[in-house]
Amino acid sequence: MISYEFLTSKKIEEALDYLDKFSKVQILAGGTDLLVNIHRESPRLPPFDYLLDISKIPELKFITLVKNFIEIGPLVTHSRLISEPLIKDNFPVLIEAANTIGSTQIRNRGTIGGNIVNASPAADLLPPLIALRAEVELTSRKGKRALPLEEFLAGPYKTKIQPNELLTKIRIPLLGDNYYTDFQKIGRRKALSIARLSLALVTKIDKEGIFNDTRVVPGSATPYPQSFPKTEKAINGKSIFNIDLEEIGEIVSKEMVSVTGERWSTPYKKSAIATLIKRALGKIVEEVKTNE
Amino acid sequence: MNKITVTFIVNGKEVTLEVQPQERLIDTLREQLKLTGTKEGCSVGECGACTVILDGKAVPSCLILTGQIGGSEVLTIEGLEVDGKLDPLQQAFINHHAIQCGFCTPGMLMSAKALLIHNPHPSREEIKTALEGNLCRCTGYEQIIEAIESVVKNKKEIP
Repeated sequence: MISYEFLTSKKIEEALDYLDKFSKVQILAGGTDLLVNIHRESPRLPPFDYLLDISKIPELKFITLVKNFIEIGPLVTHSRLISEPLIKDNFPVLIEAANTIGSTQIRNRGTIGGNIVNASPAADLLPPLIALRAEVELTSRKGKRALPLEEFLAGPYKTKIQPNELLTKIRIPLLGDNYYTDFQKIGRRKALSIARLSLALVTKIDKEGIFNDTRVVPGSATPYPQSFPKTEKAINGKSIFNIDLEEIGEIVSKEMVSVTGERWSTPYKKSAIATLIKRALGKIVEEVKTNE
Repeated sequence: MNKITVTFIVNGKEVTLEVQPQERLIDTLREQLKLTGTKEGCSVGECGACTVILDGKAVPSCLILTGQIGGSEVLTIEGLEVDGKLDPLQQAFINHHAIQCGFCTPGMLMSAKALLIHNPHPSREEIKTALEGNLCRCTGYEQIIEAIESVVKNKKEIP
């Protein structure tokens, strides 16, 4: 059994003090990943001496509209995200992704901050959050810093968070008019499934039906979720009336393999990722045509 | 290793306990409080057998440390019966034969109860979503869903 001292904070300041004062502190929020890893004594778990429970810090449970951004506290659970009108009105793609996480019980405990900091290659919220250009705010005793989520991720299960830092905010710029979004996921079954492959798509379609500012972020396709700039470039400038979905499917497959190389799962994932982008684009094209 | 003193409410009664840093809510319920109705299945949040209601929400008690829940309110299967009278959901599970070996039943009931607390008139799809984290390996889900639907239907009839 892994042995540790248990610390708990009800205030950000107190948590930062603990992080400053002690070393080898593991932060506990919803626990839906961490407590599984502790139970299984997972080799993925770095050694730690202290477990700092932050799950009861009210200051980290907000969802607010601040100018042109929605700001989300890291302790917001997936269930809360799903039921929040501000998210529903502005980022339905986040709700689509959150709905596919675990089960009702898991969504009631798991948090958006945990999904980000755990940085699983299969994290369901990472592709849509990256596609939405989310930023994370990190706070330590020394101050605050913000960086784009995509830069914050540093590898599978790795981020750039420092041992004395706490994730204190997720900030997402509102999308302007004429943006469309979609999230696709393939799992081994419907509920409680880890994504075998997922894909978030955000794009703007102008009055002439031309795609631009497209963002394509697959999950479980690369060591950690990242944008696919070649695919994005290939979609931008195309028209909803004659975009060649087969061609885009080939481009996204090639881009994936250019990152991962040929792996045991590549033959499957190559065709599956092509299908996901075709489904996502097809759905958006239909949506735009219906709106006209 | 430090012991933690934690005060919370279980089935309407306040308790103050000393717990270990590694002690999960399911351990405290079963071993300290002898509330053995809550079952441990997979221990990793995938089977739903250990589901309890924490502050009004269905949660896996194997993925919560008791040290985390100071000030919270827990409802377990033992708390469903009031004054010797079964909860309508419990009675419906019996009437609809929604039980075979019974191991998943407490978790199923707590997920169903949490659903009805927030949504007294759920659709069949909403019932399925509420139960998606609860596995039954013997009798299947049909009777369980029917039992819950019967409670919802009765509620609709009583204005």
